[in-house]
Amino acid sequence: MSLRDVTRRHFFERCGIGVGSIALHQLLEQSSDAAVSGNPLAPRAPHFPARAKRVIYLFMAGGPSQLEMFDYKPALTKFNGEPIPKSYVEGKRFAFMDSSHRTNLLGTKRQFEQHGENRMWVSDLLPYTSKIVDQLTFIRTCKTDLFNHAPAKLFMNTGTGQFGRPSMGAWLTYGLGSECEDLPGFVVLQSGPRGPRGGAILWGSGMLPSAYQGVPLRNRGEPILNLTTPESISDEQQIRVIDAVRKLNAKKLAETGDDEIATRINAYEMAYRMQTSAPKLMDTTDETQETLDLYGIKDPKESTFARNCLLARRLAERGVRFIQLYHTNWDHHGGPTENLETHLPDICREIDQPSAALILDLKRHGLLDDTIVIWGGEFGRTPMGEVRESTGRNHHIDAFTMWFAGGGFKPGAIYGETDEFGFGAIDHPVHVRDIHATVLHQLGLNHERLVVRAQGLDFRLTGVLPARVVHEVLA
Amino acid sequence: MALPYYFPLPPVRSQLWMGAVWLGMALTPCILRTTLAADELRFNRDIRPILSEYCFACHGFDQSQREAGLRLDTESGAKATLESGKNAVVSKSPENSELLHRIFSEDEDEKMPPAEGGKSLSQDQKAKLKLWIEQGAAYEPHWAFSPIERPRLPKFEGSSDTSHPIDLFVREQLLQVGLAPSPRAPAHTLLRRASFDLIGLPPTVDEVNAFEKDYAQRGIQAYQDAVDRYLERPAFGERWGRWWLDQARYADSNGYSIDAPREIWKYRDWVIESLNDNLPFDQFTIEQLAGDLLPDASQSQRIATGFHRNTQINQEGGIDQEQFRIESVFDRVATTGTVFLGLSVGCAQCHNHKFDPISQKEYYEIFAFFNNQDEPTMKVYGKEENLPELKEKLKEAEKALQTYIAEKKQAYQTWESKLTDEEKKKMAPNLRKALETEPEKRNQTQIRELFNVEVGKVDSQFQSLLENYTSLDNRLNGVATTMVLQERKEPRQTRVFVKGDFTRPAETVTPGVLSVLHPLAAQEKEPNRLDLARWIVSKANPLTARVIVNRLWQQYFGRGIVETENDFGLQGALPTHPELLDWLASEFMDSGWNFKQIHRQIVLSETYMQKSDDREDVREKDQDNQWLARQQRLRLDAELIRDAGLAVSGLLTSQLGGPPVFPPIPDGVMSQGQVKRQWKTSTGEDRFRRGIYTFVYRATPPPSLSVFDAPEGNSTCTRRVRSNTPLQALTLLNDAAFFEFATALKKIVESEGLEKAFLRSTSRKPTEEEKEILASMDALSVARVLLNLDETVTRE
Repeated sequence: MSLRDVTRRHFFERCGIGVGSIALHQLLEQSSDAAVSGNPLAPRAPHFPARAKRVIYLFMAGGPSQLEMFDYKPALTKFNGEPIPKSYVEGKRFAFMDSSHRTNLLGTKRQFEQHGENRMWVSDLLPYTSKIVDQLTFIRTCKTDLFNHAPAKLFMNTGTGQFGRPSMGAWLTYGLGSECEDLPGFVVLQSGPRGPRGGAILWGSGMLPSAYQGVPLRNRGEPILNLTTPESISDEQQIRVIDAVRKLNAKKLAETGDDEIATRINAYEMAYRMQTSAPKLMDTTDETQETLDLYGIKDPKESTFARNCLLARRLAERGVRFIQLYHTNWDHHGGPTENLETHLPDICREIDQPSAALILDLKRHGLLDDTIVIWGGEFGRTPMGEVRESTGRNHHIDAFTMWFAGGGFKPGAIYGETDEFGFGAIDHPVHVRDIHATVLHQLGLNHERLVVRAQGLDFRLTGVLPARVVHEVLA
Repeated sequence: MALPYYFPLPPVRSQLWMGAVWLGMALTPCILRTTLAADELRFNRDIRPILSEYCFACHGFDQSQREAGLRLDTESGAKATLESGKNAVVSKSPENSELLHRIFSEDEDEKMPPAEGGKSLSQDQKAKLKLWIEQGAAYEPHWAFSPIERPRLPKFEGSSDTSHPIDLFVREQLLQVGLAPSPRAPAHTLLRRASFDLIGLPPTVDEVNAFEKDYAQRGIQAYQDAVDRYLERPAFGERWGRWWLDQARYADSNGYSIDAPREIWKYRDWVIESLNDNLPFDQFTIEQLAGDLLPDASQSQRIATGFHRNTQINQEGGIDQEQFRIESVFDRVATTGTVFLGLSVGCAQCHNHKFDPISQKEYYEIFAFFNNQDEPTMKVYGKEENLPELKEKLKEAEKALQTYIAEKKQAYQTWESKLTDEEKKKMAPNLRKALETEPEKRNQTQIRELFNVEVGKVDSQFQSLLENYTSLDNRLNGVATTMVLQERKEPRQTRVFVKGDFTRPAETVTPGVLSVLHPLAAQEKEPNRLDLARWIVSKANPLTARVIVNRLWQQYFGRGIVETENDFGLQGALPTHPELLDWLASEFMDSGWNFKQIHRQIVLSETYMQKSDDREDVREKDQDNQWLARQQRLRLDAELIRDAGLAVSGLLTSQLGGPPVFPPIPDGVMSQGQVKRQWKTSTGEDRFRRGIYTFVYRATPPPSLSVFDAPEGNSTCTRRVRSNTPLQALTLLNDAAFFEFATALKKIVESEGLEKAFLRSTSRKPTEEEKEILASMDALSVARVLLNLDETVTRE
């Protein structure tokens, strides 16, 4: 007989003879096991010892231009305005094929310099990031399959462009549970002029229960939907309501033996804890001025990427498993509202200092070792330019740069090299699937074993095509 | 004779973990009980699941992936002599069966399944395969592909409290597992259960009181009458309409990133009305898949084709339109397969199916049926409308207006000539523009509008002409639209896409169906969607009736007779009650696909009427309640939680159908997608409509629905998960809409008393102990407690 059965029987016998809610309450407190307590987010052991416990994913929504930031290509400047050799683009498809797609190369106007021990090229757009390159792991040959925004974002998050699959954060909380008892296990923060394309499906739980879906922490009003007790209700009234609900539900539990009621009792308790813990999380008055300055936060109440980075650290401290930040908008096609001359530098300023500060801050809090930080978009941008009154680049999926830090990634490593124009990898291509497999691996999960059965198939984040753990980028 | 796949129930069954995705089960595999009953091995029950799980991926239907020339999914393949000269399976000869040699081998190079696949057979599974070969290695056809035959009813010795066929099948198996059924639930529970299940609302206090009295006197007869009343309530269509809309992936926006609103609610209303009218399911299916192809297709039949217009539309810049048109066809194929056949047809988009006999070519033959449509938007006129007559009348009305205005030209010109600049400035922009236009260049609308400012305004004859015109114009041009399918005159050519990639077209295919199932009706012309629809509802189809009754059963008991409700293929679960499933499927078809009749059959069974309380012996012997020794407590679906709150608090508006509405949602929800969408909160009665009418944006779905697992309409949903989370608690406690319900219920607590409010919420009276807990609280707190009770949001 399993522990679960023993406990249930025990419970049944005691509650069957009318032991009231106090006994029940104690019983629930004793059992933190997911099966007994009915808490789907109870921590679970990984497949093998993990290097990392959590992930902070800085998602640069829209597709940042690696060619203006990390992948230095003098040949592009040299051949600026020349058509790209046919051999590169023959048989390829791009977004905007019928209208604005161009085939002439566009040289970058940014100044690049080498930084750190491994002489990583970083442009003048990212002065803060330049200073911490020795702590980052760059992959310059990332590769994805889809080149329109919403499908590509879905692909980066769920491993497929199809709807109805769990996102990476959902997979991780499903596989590992959460170590935070009073906040959701998967939290999403947003900044920038608009929400990311695709919306809620990007942090959905697909065929997994909705307990694993990402919970958006809102930047205006209450941080979690419905977190705040209605205005006219006092704290005391709220406690009494929750307490009465618990007592009445406990009686029903004793009468029916339905485990779902035990789960609901737990859920109300966690909801109540969240009412206190979430506002505390958002209230950054306990941070020093020095910390705010580190992130470049001018007004801690203002919703910015910088503030979200600070919140990410606070969430990491509290044991939240998967923290995802979306920052819009990186879709620099050229034109009056989204060009490489004005808007790219602007958005780089928004993210450069806070991203670097997050790494430094995690490190000094002793959190970087077991936190993986991921920086990147749903794809990169083409070596060919879109030249209008200003310049831009089209969506590009064959090679783009992402960086990683902490969680057992090799500090300072630079992996993968692209051809002279930065079009494709000349060595070590790293597909989205490989990225997923590698991140799961660091969290102690074998990507082939983290599965859920639906329609007769074992679904997994990395899908059915081969995926490999990129050991070369791991320490 | 019983069908080949029927088997006597062994005392203890082995269970494979089918990865049930509802809460709790997803994390804790069922305990494996694998005691072998030496004389009872059956291929479908004991062997195929093992072969399918461990072997078919490389030794199955998909020729392109087949290793060593061996296929184990057919008897001839398994027993054939292989390239190596050996035989995988030799009947009754374990020592000569290479399969056994390989699975028992310790040699890494020989061992099957190979280590790199990460799957390995348990000792028990190996022993089973050995025993099966010893016993002669017999194969059976896959149960779900075998024809549906009406099974004979089980017979019991002695007297029984029930003769309902459902009960006989269920009791037969209960007897074998050694469990007694539970007693009938008390009257108030029976009524509450039937009410939620049939109309999705709690019974009113009067209904409960009347029923308890009636039931005490007339017993089951009273219950039957109550059920019949519920089946006739318009709310039946709303409750079961939502069940169908999940499968139809209905929502009110285009999805993807832009997620613009769309108008397709007429399709939703068509579903509700069809269910209320008890449109036979075969007709229900045909109209949705191919209503436009029916002879003299009516407007309603065209509206029905909205079923396959519920696919998403990508309006992002820079996309290839053809790519996303094809994406929606892929979705139509997958949805048709899942909803009507219970098969993961979509898996064969890129390659032959790994487990089921569906080739990639066959996939594109089905694709071809869905490749020949235009996707227009259609105006929907009132049901009684005679269009040619209406157009004629409108013309006449317009003429009458013109004539009248012409007669009053003098008066009008006088008025216009006297207008001062000051007066003109104050006028609406359209009128100013009309005045700036030279009189002879003004159009009819402008002339009318100007005339109506002053001269016509006080002229009752003009007003009545105008009224007549406006109402006709509205009937013709001001109507709602809906999205439909329309067959093209020139069909598109369909080609197989290599790896499902539309940029890699290969061989040309013509419309066709799955060869493992019954053939299409013979005909001369190339078959179209209408033929496909008729093929689906053919009585020779072994799948559709089983799949649909199983999905109905799932709503009533929390799980289907076949647990994998969307996969009746080789990887799917076996039916727990195969004969019952076939009896229901036969009933369904023989009754002329009568929906309400099958609902009625189920809810009138003693099996359905049992108490749902757990029992220790059931826990011990049947943890998942698959043998149904009791009913199952089920948390209400998302929309019904809202509906129950509205009903309990007396706020519910019971208007049927119409455009979607915008009940209060928290601030900031709509800014989560790429484009910030408007949410103009409804006022008046529309604020309190049932959940099915809430506008659903796919990218930013209404939080109070999605938090309770309502699907967003991104892909077909044949079963909702039932999660149970802190965010749900926060919603019931603090959400503005639920607080509004609480405020209304508070007044009922004050005016009618605690007991009445409790009764409204739970359909029963509180116990003394419960009253005591609530008595010390203020009325608003009592109302909030009641709306948060597990019992209030659960059907027991």
